[in-house]
Amino acid sequence: MLVRSPHRLFDVTLWPLVDVLMFGSLASFVGTGNASGGKQAAGYLLAGIILWHIVYQSQIAVSTGFLEETWSRNLLNLMITPIREIEYVGGVALFGMAKLVIGVGLMMIGGLVFFSFNITSLGFAVVPIAAVLLLVGWAISLFVIGVVLRYGPGAEALAWGVMFVVLPLSGVFYPIDALPAAVRPIAFALPTTYAFAALRGVVDGEALNWAYVGISAGGALVLSLLAFWYLVSMLKLFRRRGYVTRYA
Amino acid sequence: MSVGPELCSARVGGRPAFICDNIPSVDIVLSARGLVKEFKRAIAVDGVDIEVKAGERVALLGPNGAGKTTTLLMILGAISPDKGEVEICGVPQRRNRSHAAEHVGFAAGYLPLAGEMKVREYLTMFGQIYGIPDPSKAIAEGLERFRIQHLSEAKGTQLSSGQRTLVGIVRAVLHKPRLLVLDEPTASLDPDVAGRVRGGILDLCADNGTALLVTSHDMLEVERLCERVLFLSAGRVVADGAPSEIAERFGREDLEGVFLHLADENYQPSDSPTSQHTDHIL
Repeated sequence: MLVRSPHRLFDVTLWPLVDVLMFGSLASFVGTGNASGGKQAAGYLLAGIILWHIVYQSQIAVSTGFLEETWSRNLLNLMITPIREIEYVGGVALFGMAKLVIGVGLMMIGGLVFFSFNITSLGFAVVPIAAVLLLVGWAISLFVIGVVLRYGPGAEALAWGVMFVVLPLSGVFYPIDALPAAVRPIAFALPTTYAFAALRGVVDGEALNWAYVGISAGGALVLSLLAFWYLVSMLKLFRRRGYVTRYA
Repeated sequence: MSVGPELCSARVGGRPAFICDNIPSVDIVLSARGLVKEFKRAIAVDGVDIEVKAGERVALLGPNGAGKTTTLLMILGAISPDKGEVEICGVPQRRNRSHAAEHVGFAAGYLPLAGEMKVREYLTMFGQIYGIPDPSKAIAEGLERFRIQHLSEAKGTQLSSGQRTLVGIVRAVLHKPRLLVLDEPTASLDPDVAGRVRGGILDLCADNGTALLVTSHDMLEVERLCERVLFLSAGRVVADGAPSEIAERFGREDLEGVFLHLADENYQPSDSPTSQHTDHIL
């Protein structure tokens, strides 16, 4: 599919590289000189954007995988086959994993080549953080699919839009103290906030904050269960109200 | 006799290796009882009972809005009924949709093909979804049955609407389903292709003992293809029997006369000569 529709590769090649170029340049700018604050912010920016793409790519891969079925009016074809819903979502998520590896891999290479930023120098501490972010991305995608099942094609903008809400509130590039006080409670409720706080600690050269990782993992698990429950409920509603005729 | 999941022995990834080879013959391939579906503004299906025996060719007819497609979608498991039960080869649709779906093939002119895939690749993908490890033989047979072998390497975007319909039917029969459901299979097809579709379907039913449930607005086609007809009107079965018997019962010359009578705005299901007992009444 990717070979015959090369434009689909943009999501995993061009856009991640554009992001690393943009945030890497910003990092170079704020890190100019010897001010330690600037160098610190530069590390946050590059590590943040690479890890953010784990949430973004995993979410977008599953959401758009489903949306492609609606765009091509293929939902009915799928619903009448023996494929179980869990098998379908699992398959799309696995395909998304392959795209994620390509996208994040390119970002790592881009960071190293253009800005001499080697994220692997942060060590294995990044692995549990990345795993939590992957789970959060999948959970958001299940929620997005549920909303599209319920509200139809008009709700599909949420697939991209929701990420632009989560991004600033998660403190991907800065501690959430920098956010206006009014929105901090929302930030505290997001599992991604703790994952990126743990990441910043690692970028600062500290040991991995397992408490933060634990909170974010617990939050990601709760979010996943809620998203799964929501998706199953919306799928039942979809069948009950005959919404499949919207796509046939 | 009903068929349970335990009778499918060889399985690939939780599914039968080749579904139909493992299923013994059954008397009743489709049993839908008391189906009711109500949408916001109307009752689309109001207590429909349908039973289709192995190898039987049944048409589901009725004017627009009679509830045909809603009934089919409930039989296929894409819409859940408000009331009633569907069993495919004895497998309850509500509790085990995935297993019930293994015994059914469905094609309709409005179902899309994957535009960027070749016909052969597309059919291979669906064959594998239905548990056929190497579907190449089934694909070759299907393409030959409907005389479209030459389309094997064509992409979906290169096919005419008639060719897409034919490929859709080949896809639906790859796994040799016990029940083939077709929603207006020859709508918008020219007479030659429509004839090829009818011929292929009749051969398939004869060769494999496949039961057929088909909707159509072409009454002549129904008379050629089906041995039994169910007429729906306002969500209810108002007639069930052989085409000639139904025409006689309604005092019309043929099915088209019955259709026009049922499509009359003033017609009420209670006017039907068979409305008091609709299950195999004729």
